[in-house]
Amino acid sequence: MIPFIFKMSPAEAFAFLLGMHSVAATTGDITSVLFGVPGEAISAATVVDGYPMAKKGEAGRALGAALMSSLLGALIGAVALALAVPIVRPLVLTFGSPELFMLSLIGISCITSLSGTTTRGQIKGFAMGLFGLLISTIGQERQSGSLRFDLGMMYLWDGLDFVPVLVGIFAIPEIIDLAVRGTSIAGDRPPENLSSGVMEGVKDTFRHFWLVFRCSIIGVFVGIMPGAGGGVAQWMAYAHAVQSATDSKDRGGFGKGDIRGVLGPGAANNSKEGGELIPTVAFGVPGSGAMAILLSGFLIMGIMPGPEMLTKHLSLTFSMVWTLAIANVITVILSLAILDQLAKLTYVRGGLIIPFILLLVFVGSYTANGQIADLIVTLIFGVLSYFMVLFGWPRPPFVLGFVLGKVIETYLFISMTRYGFSWLTHPIVVALMILMVVVIAYPYIQQRRQRSREPAHA
Amino acid sequence: MRKGNFVFCIFLIAIATYAIFAATGWSFKTKLFPLAVSIPLLTLLVVQLLLMIGGKEQTGESAAMDIDFSIEVPPEVARRRVFGIFGWIVGFIALVYLLGFPLTVPLFIFLYLKFQSNIGWLTTVAITVVTWGCFYLLFQSLVHIQFEAGAIQSWLGM
Repeated sequence: MIPFIFKMSPAEAFAFLLGMHSVAATTGDITSVLFGVPGEAISAATVVDGYPMAKKGEAGRALGAALMSSLLGALIGAVALALAVPIVRPLVLTFGSPELFMLSLIGISCITSLSGTTTRGQIKGFAMGLFGLLISTIGQERQSGSLRFDLGMMYLWDGLDFVPVLVGIFAIPEIIDLAVRGTSIAGDRPPENLSSGVMEGVKDTFRHFWLVFRCSIIGVFVGIMPGAGGGVAQWMAYAHAVQSATDSKDRGGFGKGDIRGVLGPGAANNSKEGGELIPTVAFGVPGSGAMAILLSGFLIMGIMPGPEMLTKHLSLTFSMVWTLAIANVITVILSLAILDQLAKLTYVRGGLIIPFILLLVFVGSYTANGQIADLIVTLIFGVLSYFMVLFGWPRPPFVLGFVLGKVIETYLFISMTRYGFSWLTHPIVVALMILMVVVIAYPYIQQRRQRSREPAHA
Repeated sequence: MRKGNFVFCIFLIAIATYAIFAATGWSFKTKLFPLAVSIPLLTLLVVQLLLMIGGKEQTGESAAMDIDFSIEVPPEVARRRVFGIFGWIVGFIALVYLLGFPLTVPLFIFLYLKFQSNIGWLTTVAITVVTWGCFYLLFQSLVHIQFEAGAIQSWLGM
């Protein structure tokens, strides 16, 4: 959309670019809930509990919760943008490659440590995280240009694109399950009262307000850190939602349609927009591909991001805050108006809806590179994902490892080149290592506490 | 299920082993990350395999935070339907390769609705036409996605 902004004023141009970009995560959640197909890569975590809710006949509730938490997340992100620019500068400047490397590892550890309730379950979780990282190394190595695991195929030189892999991982097993059941997505349950379901989801957002708030803050924080972005924010928020469960029984509902599993990622993947804007606006450091495009918009408009955004162009900075807020309000109102009709799709019989979901899946996958190979990649990862679900190997750590792999490798490479092994002794790195150990040990500690409590109650 | 899980674990071990062997011949920069990842991966998988050989399947071992497949359908029927849907998916990709997306979309929708879902002729034709219209309008006219021509059109020089 960059070509369209040339004749616009800066405020109009950023309203145009940012307004469009900032609501993608909100609407991406809709297909995640309805069909188990992430509308955006940053909406993948919503599938894990949103789609099982649709299968339980609670699509309206899940969508209401996803939209309302997205709106709250976006508003919290916008407020964070308004408040944080002067405060956050020292934080961003303190975090170099070693610290960002550790932060990414914590992101993966959060999700892997919660991937099973037994030792074996956790081994599977960590193995899947590492497997995702390994798959991300396919293709040309960025620093030396050497090819890795390319199997002699030119298609693999650029590595695997996110879209065909993620669509295959999440959508294909859901399609297979739908075909096996032979019913509608919601099964043979009596139709949900959609209006009250949507309202229930909206109320759920406020019932779990502090969870939504905390996940929004996670989103803002991850957004501020360059390179991490929505891929990490949604899963860290999801892991936090799981960790907030009171005991292992309470946690057992996650993945089976727990509303908190929809609220956490919904809030975080929208609040991270505000977070990502902070380093982009204040220091000209884009934290993601989309922010890099926005940065090019700044340059086209003749504006240099930096301290001037807080003095000379302060009104423009605040116009971005308002754009984030208003774009999300408009999107949520429009979406709420049509949610009833959308949720009815989950009651259409499987035989009618499967070919359309397949079409959606494969056209989406094809748009990555415009090659048949994209479809084959989707199929291969769909088959892999089918067996992962069948044999209880968790998919979220794999996805997070795959999404973060390239970023982690870059940070590791820069850290090793710049500091050798001495970066391992940096104070913030050490603090983050301790935090990572705590994150990994937390489920065990929680389990032990619960076990020690049980005999007391018995 | 236990046997399948075992085979899946062996499959992952084979991939991790291949990754280690392939990476050892590369320069330090190139192999650093793949080795840093695949060595602990192989270790964890071997531990998992030994635990599987040595012990019973634990309750709670199945993936938390992930979906479970439906178990209401008898396994024999489920297996048949799984093969069936995989057949349709592979068929869809084969059709895209041979005919390209624009021709595959109406053909696939028609075939699936008529022969898999047993929908009446009139409804099948109506849904096919509407779907093709939406596909053309959205992806070709509005979004301008360039769909490759199919292999058959290329052979015929069309």
